[in-house]
Amino acid sequence: MSELRFNELRGEQVDYAIHRQDRTFLPARDHCPLDPTHPGGPQTEIPFPAFEIAVFDNRFPAFEAPQGAAEVVVYTEDHEGSFATLSPDRAESLMWVWRHRYMELGAREDVDYVFIFENRGVEVGVTLHHPHGQIYGYPFVPPVPALELAADERLGGCAPCALLADELRDGRRILYENDAVVVYMPFAARWAYEAHVVVRRHRRSLLECEPEELRALSVALQTLVRGYDALFERPFPYVMAVHQAPTVADSGGHLHIEFYPPLRTPEKLKYLAGSEQGAGTFISDTVPEESAVALREAIARAA
Amino acid sequence: MIGEPAEPAATPPGSGAGEQAPASADPPPPRERFGPLVAERHSKDDGRALILYSRVERETP
Repeated sequence: MSELRFNELRGEQVDYAIHRQDRTFLPARDHCPLDPTHPGGPQTEIPFPAFEIAVFDNRFPAFEAPQGAAEVVVYTEDHEGSFATLSPDRAESLMWVWRHRYMELGAREDVDYVFIFENRGVEVGVTLHHPHGQIYGYPFVPPVPALELAADERLGGCAPCALLADELRDGRRILYENDAVVVYMPFAARWAYEAHVVVRRHRRSLLECEPEELRALSVALQTLVRGYDALFERPFPYVMAVHQAPTVADSGGHLHIEFYPPLRTPEKLKYLAGSEQGAGTFISDTVPEESAVALREAIARAA
Repeated sequence: MIGEPAEPAATPPGSGAGEQAPASADPPPPRERFGPLVAERHSKDDGRALILYSRVERETP
């Protein structure tokens, strides 16, 4: 069982989940716990010889009932590949799975915020290469979504709606758009190739999206991550963060998905060092307008 | 808290996920329809929940 301690100086919770110290770490290819279980083979987390998308309670949970939840979402039984290489139908199915998990976890009394995310690449600490993501159900609203709600108050309305309108007016940082979704590099991006995938209409969560919007969202996400892989012609590490409304009553929010890639060149990583960690101010070696040109070209090459 | 009604699955998913489960005398796992998917609920040996999602219509490669 993990323990929450409140860090008074920073005004934030810290989660102590010491059992995670022993979690599976980059296992050999033939011992992947996210593969199907084949007859005569090792037992995996999914005791079936075939599946499409699987969701299960994390064996090493950061949060668990009655203080939240931690789930693993396996995108495919195919060990190789990534979110980018899923079929369009599978990518769309994943949006529905996310929506289902948001609905079920959000209905729980001990979950105030459903956070769907993916860590891709050892550069961001991934411990299993099989294509998968995770979901945490926090028993509180964490600082980043709380900051977004504060931005709504500061701007006097939905901040993602206002920022999307600004980006569309400016146009220089737009990476991709379709009928329902826009992908852009934000004006004040913190990472060299940070991108935000924003649903055009004001949708607080996946639950409020029409089926066509879910399809468009999956297309936009795959377009972006394929562009990422084409940018430096290598698998592109990132943290993908799905931001939705908290699941406590009457919360604001606007569905959007943020990508934080740590690479700033094909070989160089952006580290969170003195200014970022000690002062909370990102120092960037690139400007979003120039990065957006390069990433837009990569997206076109990958199309 | 939020919510949206889910429907019991009227038809099996035909995906192979649940159909290929090890033979057992246990009743079939609960299934429910959600959008284009069927969710099939299982409990792992250690009690953890496992949900297998299958698309009702066949996927296009």
